[in-house]
Amino acid sequence: MRTCGRGRVNSLARSVVDASVRLFSLSALHVNILIPTIMLPDEILDTLQSEFPCRESQIQQLTAFYSEHHLPSPPLLVAHGLTATGKSSIIKSLLELSSLPHAVIRCRECITGRHLLERIVASCLDALDTFGDERIDRKRFARTENLSSLAVNLQRLLEGRNKFVLVLDGIDKQREAPPTMMAALGRFREVIPNLSIILISNLPLTQALYTPSTPHIHFAPYPRSSLLTILAAKPPKIFLTPPSTEKFPDYTPDLAAEDDAWLWGRFTSAVYDSLSKHTGRDLVNFRIAALKLWRPFVEPVEAGTFGTRDFSRLMVNRRHLFQGEEGVLDRIIASESTLTNPTGTVPPTPKRNLRTLAHDLPYYATHLLIAAYLASYNPSRTDVTYFMKHTDKRKNKRRVHTSSGTGAMKSKHRKISRHLLTPSPFPLDRLLAIFRALLDDAGVPQSADLYTQVATLTSMRLLVKAGGAGSADPLDTGAKWRVNFGWEYARGLGRTVGLEVGEYLVGGVD
Amino acid sequence: MEHEKCYIYAPPESNSEERPSKRVRTSKLQSQPQLTERLSTYREVWAQQEERIQQTLENADSVTQENIVKFVAASTTSEGEPQASIPTGLIVAGPSIASHGLFFSRLGQNIRSETDSAYAVLTSGECPNLKTLLKCLVKKITSLKDDGDEHDDLINSGFSARNGPKLLDFDLGHVQMWQDKNETQSIVVAIQDSEAFDTAVLVELVDTVHSWLDRLPFILLFGIATSAENFEDRMSGKSLRYLDGQKFDVTQSDVIIEKLFSVTVANADARLRIGPTLSHRLLDRQKDHVQNVQDFVDGLKYAHMSHFYASYPSIFLRKGSTYTDLPSEAFEAVRNLPSFRRWIETLLQDGNASEVRTLLQSDQSLHEEIAKHIKLGQTALTSLSQAAILFHNIRESLQISPPFRLSTIWTRAAAGDLSGSPLYRETMLSLKKASSDKLKQLLISMERLNMEGSSIDWAKFNQNLLKLVQNSDGSGPLRSQDDVRNDSVRTTVIAQKVLLSKHKAALSEQDKAYSELVAQLHDEIDRYMTSAFIDPQAMFLSEIFMYDLKSPHVEVFQPKPRFAIERALATPHDYLGCSCCDRNRTEEEGVLAATQPATAILYQLFLESGTLINASDLWSAFEAIVEEGSEESDPKTSALIQRALAELRYLGLVKPSRKKTDHIAKIMWKGL
Ligand SMILES: Nc1ncnc2c1ncn2[C@@H]1O[C@H](COP(=O)(O)OP(=O)(O)OP(=O)(O)O)[C@@H](O)[C@H]1O
Ligand SMILES: [Mg+2]
Repeated sequence: MRTCGRGRVNSLARSVVDASVRLFSLSALHVNILIPTIMLPDEILDTLQSEFPCRESQIQQLTAFYSEHHLPSPPLLVAHGLTATGKSSIIKSLLELSSLPHAVIRCRECITGRHLLERIVASCLDALDTFGDERIDRKRFARTENLSSLAVNLQRLLEGRNKFVLVLDGIDKQREAPPTMMAALGRFREVIPNLSIILISNLPLTQALYTPSTPHIHFAPYPRSSLLTILAAKPPKIFLTPPSTEKFPDYTPDLAAEDDAWLWGRFTSAVYDSLSKHTGRDLVNFRIAALKLWRPFVEPVEAGTFGTRDFSRLMVNRRHLFQGEEGVLDRIIASESTLTNPTGTVPPTPKRNLRTLAHDLPYYATHLLIAAYLASYNPSRTDVTYFMKHTDKRKNKRRVHTSSGTGAMKSKHRKISRHLLTPSPFPLDRLLAIFRALLDDAGVPQSADLYTQVATLTSMRLLVKAGGAGSADPLDTGAKWRVNFGWEYARGLGRTVGLEVGEYLVGGVD
Repeated sequence: MEHEKCYIYAPPESNSEERPSKRVRTSKLQSQPQLTERLSTYREVWAQQEERIQQTLENADSVTQENIVKFVAASTTSEGEPQASIPTGLIVAGPSIASHGLFFSRLGQNIRSETDSAYAVLTSGECPNLKTLLKCLVKKITSLKDDGDEHDDLINSGFSARNGPKLLDFDLGHVQMWQDKNETQSIVVAIQDSEAFDTAVLVELVDTVHSWLDRLPFILLFGIATSAENFEDRMSGKSLRYLDGQKFDVTQSDVIIEKLFSVTVANADARLRIGPTLSHRLLDRQKDHVQNVQDFVDGLKYAHMSHFYASYPSIFLRKGSTYTDLPSEAFEAVRNLPSFRRWIETLLQDGNASEVRTLLQSDQSLHEEIAKHIKLGQTALTSLSQAAILFHNIRESLQISPPFRLSTIWTRAAAGDLSGSPLYRETMLSLKKASSDKLKQLLISMERLNMEGSSIDWAKFNQNLLKLVQNSDGSGPLRSQDDVRNDSVRTTVIAQKVLLSKHKAALSEQDKAYSELVAQLHDEIDRYMTSAFIDPQAMFLSEIFMYDLKSPHVEVFQPKPRFAIERALATPHDYLGCSCCDRNRTEEEGVLAATQPATAILYQLFLESGTLINASDLWSAFEAIVEEGSEESDPKTSALIQRALAELRYLGLVKPSRKKTDHIAKIMWKGL
């Protein structure tokens, strides 16, 4: 760099400013790095270390490889580690700080292999446009159909330029990736000497790459202590609106920040030990759970019931937060009710009324669904005993029940309740026959409405077509169907129309 | 049955002379007189109804729509901080799938007009996989707000302005370029029928949208037919973490149907009424089979259409038609109406022979009578509807259980079996027993309804009641003398049987005055209702102002395809009408005759057999029927049975079975 002419440095510095300005519009996080000069490797190292604690060795290795413009970087590097171990964020920050020309491609945004290839070329063009001073003639790069044309295009693009870093983030999740892609990527360096590729994946790619001696950087999952350190860096506030200065004149913002950090630290370790250890240990999950529980946790403090340092009493008071599962369940609709339970007692496990309909189904549709459930879970040979007219259902039920559970059988096979097994497919006519038997033949006309309902229930995925996917006709006679709901739901349906489904189920439900 | 590889099929020679020659109609009868006039009358009448329907539908879910729009607007305001999760609306729209399309298109209009957002609806049909879904999304979004040619340019060329690499057509980069230009606050993507989408596609969509969230302000709306929990169960944990939102409940379709019913059929002002039988059918179908607002509206429309198309006398519903406009055929048609005959008979019984004569002879005087009676009938039906509304209101205000819907009450009233029914008596009794607080509610709601036509002065009653209540010193509401519940409360307190009779005697002054008021009100309402609840079908010209035929409606909206086929095969005579297989003639049930079509014979044999059918048994049975008496087997029989079997198979009744050789399997049963 020092050997470069004056004009070059200037243009480079300008482009860095441009890049960082662009960065700012994206996120407000990086305010402290708005420095219009090129950072030295040591400075980069320090910035990264402070922004991403607990990743010392990985950051060191990466900065060694990529911070200097004139030193060679490895042609291919694999950064691997489980989810939320900081791979994407650290590599992105590093490249931005080092102001190397680079392009980051998120493979999850690429729908096909071709899409990825086109994206690579387009992003490289964009990156070079922002990092360089002259515009590149894009005409020559209009199409990138396959890997070899990618190689050609990149070669043409990077000819006579400095080092360029290409990051493929989440390469192992690429949809419809060309089969030879990994092998090809490993050998790009042979034709494009100034390209260095970073692959980010969840698993090590040693098998797939065919190029031995590819450096791998492992991002190990964070242990408990690291997780706590990372979270401790940004404690949320206890008081959303600071307490009035007249009442508490000596409660300064500094003091408040100290309290926040103290309570947050204790709180996160409690959350980790009671919940996240067993459910989601990765950083993102842990952080989400902690933030979800934080507001209800500090509620008494905010209300003035407890002081900010009454941690143990707060724990006892809010213990239901750590006993229930609400905090770690992923829900779309935040259910506030159970989290902000004012009584300190354990709430009865919220009986989520799973898979119930919010709206009532029409009368016959309900019966069709019940019939479908029975057709799925009763063996067809028992239909005669259960649904023939003029037979005593109860008597038959008892007989079937006892004969299946004789002692000799029991010792050999452990009997699994039928309703816990997967539903078996049934033809449409069996469904209709059971349907009529259930209605005690109240003279339901054979109208097309019944078929319409089967189709409707299918598009609601309450009934699903089992096999026979070849034919487009949803009411094809050869087709078989299956129910797509469980026992609880079937029983609930039965109760809405005054029918006890258990009485018709072979083996009963206990 | 396939013992011969091939055979020569000789069709039975048709003896054409036996077929009756077609008769050609010679007279020049005009089958549809004054069709255009009736059509225009229909259009007039229906336009009025349709407007009411549209208004009701728009109002029906306006609250939900408003909430969703608010949600969208609120989600767009959080600028700056990159969002961690996609704002998501779960719209629980209920199992009436067919009306979801309408809901989402209305929602789109509202969102576009009230917020600065782009809006695109995706349905499962157009999105079998992620690629097509994104293609569709890109197309729908980028075609919004843009000038036509500019947009074409954008889609077709991608970056071609700079001649660089093109964006593939499913790349959300298109949307980004569009967004850079238009700078909308949010991009709302509505998934209309989330259940019908492949779960994997939905998961991938959420993943992709989340990945783009730092550049594109997406908002997702999911239409859900079952329940929000069900939707959450389907998505994986990761996608759930990416979504964050609210649930919105759409008005249940039976509530909407009820509203529609009260503005159309039970409306006080309607030129043509849908009769009780048909209304009952329309409503029952909604309850039992489909839940579909559009279907209900279609049913109504079809009823209107059939009335004006098929019934010539409906011409008299035309406004301002004078005697000279009408040909004498119209009057002839009226003279053929059953209600005309009934009316004439009653006139005769009353000894008005001369009047009857003029009615039968003079078109002009008949025209006057028709005009008068149509008006009479319409007024009667109007007051019947109002009385039904009043009746419903009484039950609702007094909280009489079980609750009855207005549609039920109306259909019963229009069928003429409400007055004097137990339901009626029970309601009137409850009115007598009503305490002052409940009565007040009733009066207030009646005043608000502001019904013309009834002679009852609600305001006066209300004032009197107010006076009574103000004068009363007791803390509780005033009770009427028929209120027995009051006694039972006291007896339990004192636990004495004797007190019961004492209570009645010790009615306070105010209670006495109140009882009088209630009794007066009761009598007035009773008088009004008994006069209003007439049997409309008994009225002269009820065929004109009321349409109550079930037959074309059932055939059009509830066809029975399977029943028709089964019947045709089991009793071909019903359709063929031939003399040779008339069952009545032979007077034997279920006789198989050689004269029946081969497929029908085979079908009836098929009905008698079990699940697995031995083909050779079937054959010999068939042969025995077809070749009655003759010893030798006819080669024609073989052709017949093969064709019949093929037809049964084509209908999906049998299929070859692998379980047993020479057997076919039965896969359909009769009557299901
Ligand atoms: N050491 C750390 N210090 C502070 N924040 C961290 C650290 N490691 C990860 N994070 C934060 O965790 C979040 C997830 O990190 P990131 O997206 O980089 O993970 P990843 O390894 O790329 O995961 P994935 O494999 O799922 O893509 C980011 O918000 C990031 O800022
Ligand atoms: Mg990542």
